Amino acid sequence: MTAAATGFPGPRRGSLRGRLASPVLLLLPAGLFLGFIYLLPVIDLVRLSVSGPTWSTFFERVFSVPLYWDSLVRTMQISLTVATLCLLLGYPTALLIRRSSGITQILITAAVILPYFIAILIRTYAWMVLLGRNGPVNKLLTGLGLLSEPAQLLFSRGTVLLGMTAVLLPIMVLSIYSSVSRLDAALPRAAQASGAGPIATFWRIMLPLTLPGMGAGFLLVFVAALGFFITPTLLGGPGDQMFAMHIVQQADFINSEGFLQALAVVLLVITLLFVGVAGHFLGFEFIWGGSKAASPSGKAAGAGAATPRRSLLSGLADRIGWPVLRLLGRLGPAWGRWTVLVLAGAVIATLIVPILVVMVISFSSASYLTFPPPGFSLRWYEKFFSDPNWMDAFRHSAVIAAASAVISVLLGASAAMGIVRSEIRGKSVIMLLLVSPVIVPPVVLGLSLYSLFLRFDLVGSVWGLASAHAIGGIPLVVIIVAAALQGVDRRLEQAAALHGASPLTVFRTVTLPAIAPGLAAAGFFAFLHSFDELVLSLFLSSAQLKTLPLMLWADINYQLNPVLAVVSSLEVLLVVIGLALAGPVLARTRAGA
Amino acid sequence: MVQRMTIWRALPALAVLALPLCFAQGAAAQSKEVIVQDPGGAYGESLRRIMYGPFEKETGIKVVTVQEARSGPRLKAQAEAGKASWDLAFIFDQETKILGDCCLAEIDYKKLSESAQKTLAAMPDNLKRPKGVALQVIGVGLAWNKDKYKAGAEPQSWADFWDVKKFPGRRCMPAWSRFTFEAALMADGVPKDKLYPIDMERALKKLAEIKPHVTKWWTTAAQPPQLLLDGEADMCMAYTGSMSKFALEGAPVAISWNQGFVYYDFFSIPKGAPNYDNALKVLSWRLDPKRAAELTSNFPVALPSSVVFDAADPKISGSWANNPKNLAQAIEWSPDYWGAISPDGRSTNEEHGQEKLNALLAQ
Repeated sequence: MTAAATGFPGPRRGSLRGRLASPVLLLLPAGLFLGFIYLLPVIDLVRLSVSGPTWSTFFERVFSVPLYWDSLVRTMQISLTVATLCLLLGYPTALLIRRSSGITQILITAAVILPYFIAILIRTYAWMVLLGRNGPVNKLLTGLGLLSEPAQLLFSRGTVLLGMTAVLLPIMVLSIYSSVSRLDAALPRAAQASGAGPIATFWRIMLPLTLPGMGAGFLLVFVAALGFFITPTLLGGPGDQMFAMHIVQQADFINSEGFLQALAVVLLVITLLFVGVAGHFLGFEFIWGGSKAASPSGKAAGAGAATPRRSLLSGLADRIGWPVLRLLGRLGPAWGRWTVLVLAGAVIATLIVPILVVMVISFSSASYLTFPPPGFSLRWYEKFFSDPNWMDAFRHSAVIAAASAVISVLLGASAAMGIVRSEIRGKSVIMLLLVSPVIVPPVVLGLSLYSLFLRFDLVGSVWGLASAHAIGGIPLVVIIVAAALQGVDRRLEQAAALHGASPLTVFRTVTLPAIAPGLAAAGFFAFLHSFDELVLSLFLSSAQLKTLPLMLWADINYQLNPVLAVVSSLEVLLVVIGLALAGPVLARTRAGA
Repeated sequence: MVQRMTIWRALPALAVLALPLCFAQGAAAQSKEVIVQDPGGAYGESLRRIMYGPFEKETGIKVVTVQEARSGPRLKAQAEAGKASWDLAFIFDQETKILGDCCLAEIDYKKLSESAQKTLAAMPDNLKRPKGVALQVIGVGLAWNKDKYKAGAEPQSWADFWDVKKFPGRRCMPAWSRFTFEAALMADGVPKDKLYPIDMERALKKLAEIKPHVTKWWTTAAQPPQLLLDGEADMCMAYTGSMSKFALEGAPVAISWNQGFVYYDFFSIPKGAPNYDNALKVLSWRLDPKRAAELTSNFPVALPSSVVFDAADPKISGSWANNPKNLAQAIEWSPDYWGAISPDGRSTNEEHGQEKLNALLAQ
C-alpha cells in the first residue's frame, strides 16, 4: 500500500494530509449499516447454530442424516455442471459479441444483457411455460411427429440444469466479455502477421488473456448456483433438492431452531470456502469483475505472483490442449466460425425465446397456459390493472425499490469515495467486506435477518425491506462508483485543492460531475436489484406489504395463470426502458473507466 | 429467545442506527384492518368474494390476506419475538396443542355474534376448543381423470392406486409424510383400524414402489387439479375441496372417498394479535350459517356444524368431507399421532417421517 502513496510527490502529499484523513470517515456509514444489518445477524446465526446441548449437536445431525449430506453432494454436482455448461456456451457468445459489429453486435449484446436484468423468478417461470405439457416445445415435437404424446419435460434434473444454466449464463458471458474486450485487437493481428495460424493465435493469445475472465465467470456462476433456491424448486423433482431448499423447508418445522441455523451455516461456510480458495488463486477481485480498487502497485504485485503459476498451468494445458486443437485445425477455419455461430445462436435463443413465449402468452384468451394461445385478448392485462392486490404490490415494489436505491447509492457511493480516495491500509480487505453480501446465499441472509427484524419490529416495514435489499444493493453501487472514481483524473482534484477549493467544493465541482453517470447507473442497478428480490422478502415481508415478486411466487405455487405472463411482460418492458435510458450513461462510464 | 436478546442488548450503539427504521413502521398498525391467513387459489377467491368483500363493506374493516400453506412455524417465531403479526390463522389439529401455551390466545366465544353462537351450539365440543375453532372440514382422497379411467374401470382404493399394471398412468401425491404413509400401509394390506402407530419403514418401502410412477409430489392444494387437467398426472392423492370444485363445474375429474382422510382445520388467534377484536368479527362472519353455506356452495369445503349442513344445497353437500356418506368410507385420521414426539425425541412424528420421506424422494 505504501507504494500507492508514493504515486504523488512528497511535499504535495504532506499538504493534503489533513484532507486525506477525512475520506476514511466516508466508509463509516456503510460500515455501521452493514455491521448492524448484515454482520450482526450472521454472527447471531452462527451463535444459534452452536446453541445445542454441545456446540456440535446440530452439525452432527446435518452430517449424519444422509438426506442432508446427499443433498450437499448433489448441490455441488449441479453447481459444477451448471458452471461448466455456462463456460462452454458463454465463451463462444462472448467471442461472437467481440467479432460482430454494428447492429448485430447491439442485438446480441441486448440478448445477453436484457435477461441479466430480468428477475430470476420470471425467467424460471418462462421455462415452466416453455417446457409444460401444453407448452411450445411439446407442441413442436408432437407436431413434427417426433413424439406420439407430450413428454414430461418439467420436474427433472435436466430441466433444473437447463433452467439454471439459462439463468446464470449472462453472468458468464459478461464476465468473459470483459476480458475479451480488454484484448488489444493488434495482438491477434500481430500474431497472424508473424505466421501463427488462427488456432495458434487462439491458443497463445486469446485463451491465456481471457483465462481470468473465464475463471471469474466460472466461480461466480458456481458460487451463485450453490445457493440457488427458486429455479430448482420450480423446475426440479424431489430428486433434485438443493441445499438451500432444505433450509426453507426446515423453516416450516416447529422444532427446528438451531438445526435450521446449522444448515444455513454449513451452506455459508462452504460458499465462503470456495470463494476463499478461488480468491487465493485468482485474487478476490473476481467478485467485483476485476476492477481493482487496490493501488496500481497491488495490481503489479498480483500479476507478478500469478505469472509463474500461470506458466506452469499453461505448460500442462499445452500438452493436452495443443494436440486436440491441432486435430480440430484440420477441419479448416470455416468450422471454427460455424461452431461459434451455432453455439452462440443456441445461447441467444435460450436466453430470448422463453421471454418471447411469455410475452405472447400474456395476450392469450385461455385461462390456462397453452401455446400457441387459442385466441388473443387483453383480459389478463385488464385483470392485472383492475386487481387492487396486484396494483398494491406494484406500488409497494416501486416504493421499496426506490428507497433501497437511495440507501444503496448514499452509503455505497460514500464508501466508494472512502475506499478510492483514502490511503487507508487493507483496501482490498475492506472492499471484500463491502462486496461480500453478493456471495452470501440469499436464503442464509434472509434467515439470519428474520430474527433481527422481529426483534426491531421491522418485519413488513418499507424501510426494513428496503434496508434488507440494500445489503445487496450497496456492493453494486460500490463496484460501479469505485470504477467511475478511478476514471476521474486525480490531478484535476489536486489542482482544484491547491487553488484553495475546500474538499466539498472539489467534490461538487470536479468529482461529482465526472462520476454522475456512474451514480445514475448504480442507482438503476440498485433499484432493479430490490425490485426483483424475492428470497429475502419471503422471510421479511408481511401480509400488508406484498411485493410484486412475492405475489408472483404465491401465484406460481397456487394458481398458474396468464396474469403471471402479464407481470413478466411488464417487467421486461420496464427493463428495456430502463436500459434504453441508462444505456448511453453506461457507455460513458465504460469509456471513462 | 431470551438469550438471543442479550446479543442485541450488548450493542446499544448500533440500535441507535435502527431507530429511524422503527419509526417508519408505526403507521402500519391500525385497528381498521385484520390480517388473515389465506389458502389462495380458487378457495381464496371464493373467500374474498363471499366473505371478505361484503365484510369490508359492512364493517369498514379491511381484510388483509396472507397466502401461506402452513402457519405453525411462523406463529411460533412471531410469538417468540413477542411480535404477533397475524390476527387469524388456520392450524392443524395437533398444533392447537403444541402451540397452545406459547402462541395462541383464548377465543372469547361470548363476544361472537348471535348467529355464530347458533352454529357453534350444533358443533361437537372437541371442535370448539378454548384456543381454536374448527372452521373447515378437510378431505384428502383419491382423484382421477375420467377420460383416462372410464366408468367401471375406476380406481377405488390405495391398493388400486399402487397397481400400475391394472391402472397404468402417471400419479401425483403430496410431498408429506402424513396421508402418504397411511395410504402406503393400506395399499400394503394393513387394515384401517391398525394403522397407528405407523410402521414407517414399511410405509417407506411401499412408497418406494410407487415412486417411479409419481410425476409430481405436490405441496399446495391448487396443484393436483392443475396436474390432472393439464395431463401431467392421471391419478392423484388430492384435497377433495379443490378437486370437487372442478368436478362440480364439469371438469373430467372424479373422487373416491374410500380410505380417504378427514380432518379439521382449526382457526386460532395468535397471542398478542394486533387486531384481536376484528379477528372475532371475522370469526362471527364466517360462522354465520347462511354465509358459511353460501361459501361452501362456491367452494366445497364445509364448516362442521349441522346448522350449516341443513342450510346447504344437498347437491353440493354431497361432496363435503363431513357428509355422512363420505365419512363412512373414510378412515379416522390421527392428528394426535402425528403431533406426538417421535421415538428419537428430536422432533414430532410428522417431522421425523418427513425427513425420512424426503430422503426417499431424493434418491
